[in-house]
Amino acid sequence: MNITKTLDVKGLACPMPIVRTKKTIDTINSGEVLEVLVTDKGALSDFAAWAKAGGHTILDQKEEAGVLYFYIQKA
Amino acid sequence: MSNKVAIIAANGGLFDAYKVFNIATAAAASDKEVAIFFTFEGLNLIHKQGMQALEMPAGKEHFAEGFAKAQIPAIPELVEMAIELGVKFIACQMTMDVMGLTKEDFVDGIEVGGAVTFLEYAKDAAPTLTF
Repeated sequence: MNITKTLDVKGLACPMPIVRTKKTIDTINSGEVLEVLVTDKGALSDFAAWAKAGGHTILDQKEEAGVLYFYIQKA
Repeated sequence: MSNKVAIIAANGGLFDAYKVFNIATAAAASDKEVAIFFTFEGLNLIHKQGMQALEMPAGKEHFAEGFAKAQIPAIPELVEMAIELGVKFIACQMTMDVMGLTKEDFVDGIEVGGAVTFLEYAKDAAPTLTF
């Protein structure tokens, strides 16, 4: 997977991870992939809902040492 | 499907502020058009000085530690974020008249309007939320 940009929002609480992700995805092109590192557990369902709302695709996600990684392909 | 979210902010405490601005910024970040109608105590949430010192509900002051520990952003920061994301703020003219407030008492960029202004915006919004 070709990652265009990485956003680290570890430690931030709702709604900041989503807000920052939105602002960052606005800076990449359609089809490019944004990697987001987040520790807010609400992100598990929030990122899925947020991607759906914007038509973006979550290509992959994983959890490692308490950190959630999302790989979002911009619509 | 409506792409508009309409929010009425009618209360002026710290918890009220978080309820309003968290939903508003989350909606705006999800590509929704968002407007908030601030009325009565809700005006406190966008008052230049008032928003700096919003109070916790009586008896809940011990949550201050939890807010700090969870790294919750301060309200002025969320207000700025909301404005940046294009959230529209409508301050209630009637309440402002009653309280002797002018547009200059509030954060920049607000609109002042009456109930009809909000209703016209909200007529095709889903959801409409009241806090």
